[in-house]
Amino acid sequence: MTKQDLDKTLKEIRKEIFLTGYSVNIAHLASAFSLVEILYSLYHNQHLHYDPKNPDKDTRDRFILSKGHGSLALYVMLAREGIISQEQLASFCKPGSSLGGEPVLNSVPGIEATSGSLGHGLSLGAGMALAKKLDHRSEKVYVLLGDGECQEGAIWEAVMFAAAKQLDNLIAIIDDNALQKMGKTSDIMGITSWAEQFKAFNWDVQEVDGHDVAALDQIFAKPNTTKKPRAIIAHTIKGKGVSIVEGDARWHWRLPSKRELKTFVQELNISEEEIASCRPAM
Amino acid sequence: MQTSYVKALYELIKKDQNVISCLSDSGTDYDELIAREFPSQVVNFGISENNQVAAAAGLASCGKIPFVYTTNAFIAYRSYEFVRDDVCLQNQNVKLVGMGCGLNWSTLGSTHHTTEDIAALKVLPNLTILSPASPKELEAAVAAAYEISGPVYIRMGMSNEQEIFNGPVNFKVGKNQVIKRGTTAAVFVTGSIISAVLDAAEQLKKSGITLQVINVSTIKPFDEASVVNCCKKYHNIISVEEHSIIGGLGSSIADIIATKNLSAKLTKIGLADAFAKGYGTHDEVLAANGLSTKDIAQKIKQACATV
Repeated sequence: MTKQDLDKTLKEIRKEIFLTGYSVNIAHLASAFSLVEILYSLYHNQHLHYDPKNPDKDTRDRFILSKGHGSLALYVMLAREGIISQEQLASFCKPGSSLGGEPVLNSVPGIEATSGSLGHGLSLGAGMALAKKLDHRSEKVYVLLGDGECQEGAIWEAVMFAAAKQLDNLIAIIDDNALQKMGKTSDIMGITSWAEQFKAFNWDVQEVDGHDVAALDQIFAKPNTTKKPRAIIAHTIKGKGVSIVEGDARWHWRLPSKRELKTFVQELNISEEEIASCRPAM
Repeated sequence: MQTSYVKALYELIKKDQNVISCLSDSGTDYDELIAREFPSQVVNFGISENNQVAAAAGLASCGKIPFVYTTNAFIAYRSYEFVRDDVCLQNQNVKLVGMGCGLNWSTLGSTHHTTEDIAALKVLPNLTILSPASPKELEAAVAAAYEISGPVYIRMGMSNEQEIFNGPVNFKVGKNQVIKRGTTAAVFVTGSIISAVLDAAEQLKKSGITLQVINVSTIKPFDEASVVNCCKKYHNIISVEEHSIIGGLGSSIADIIATKNLSAKLTKIGLADAFAKGYGTHDEVLAANGLSTKDIAQKIKQACATV
């Protein structure tokens, strides 16, 4: 795929995320936008091993979106990969839908855990990784954490545990967009390097530009020979893809005004018909 | 009780390699013996109960049957959201075993007492709650928990509890059991405080009071029929629990009396909206909080004297 084609695809994904959220006037848009390349690399470029026709097959790798509020990025990816239908995606947060603002186990195929309350996913993943170790299985467990989420104490219980038990089949991806709802994570909790934190807890740490698909592909393909769990610190931009959203903490939980909408329409190549078909209750 | 738990768990671990004992630095010498024989089936999570509970849910989602064993208060209170979101909400096959319910941690004070756990946990969907009265009944409860496909919470004592069953235990999840027959009042009791109630029942015979003593070893699902049947025969219904009288066994009975439109006078004996006070042996702390055999006998006598 050419770089131009890839950029076009990534823009389409962000458009689908936006339109799905905009149609129900609900979305953690900025949190979902920062995950797009990570999920694209994992799912579309097949670093996450699973059978799209049988996504519950026992031999699958597992993926937990611990920062559950980025759910729209995951749902769009599951729909693009054919694990859920476009109709299911379109039902997001509507009455009767299986897809809510936070992922729910067994709601649709491809959701491995219920998340929403931050700080649970790494422990769930560590338990899964331990089970795989006990059964001498080779499947991997990926857990995507927010950098703000890493302020939760339970994360560090799991970090210590995974290192102590040498869960080298566990991969934590930290979506390090450096922002949380009320500002910069470094201002609020003082941590400036998650890489140093994970290194200090005896994890194998890799750092990557979280919006560079080729670099992500390289990291995900890199064998882990350390016997340590792996932390991939993905440096990202919250709201990536729409200039007025990028790097602005105020966009954590909001949708555009009529004026701001023009920027979304322009930068995500959205047509007037597509906006009209959403019929948002503004 | 601890010995009985480990004995029952050992049998399960021996039988099924998917059974995993999950400790948070909470094991005993007996656990170490199991670990020696079955090293891959005993996991110490360190002092981190939240991770222990959530990771157990992760283990269960891959087919393991984790038995999470730690100080009762830490499961019921510290890890509550993890129990709710990871175990109950996701309906995972995790067994939560609380060591030292009620006032069993009698020298360590209220941080270690577990006197609101029934109130806190019985509202959680999908969770079965077992409250065995004696060592033999605990063994039966552990075996029964294994057979249930879903979350189970077992609250257990740890103070050399008396055995109240002479022969084999007839333990059935969701079924109360009459332990002593009497005509003056029906006393529902849960957990090992049943020994004090049985002693109180003996003492009260001298006053012409005979008690029907019912062992409630399953808090949830509650055996509603046994309450309905008792209310047909007894005007005085009494609950005894090593727990707050708010939201505990007595409250479950009150719900049934109210919703089934039954006619009875309910007296709830337990901690009256207070953290327990005092230090000493388990019996001494029970006495300091109005739950000695003598206190229970007196409160029952009082209840039976009023209409």
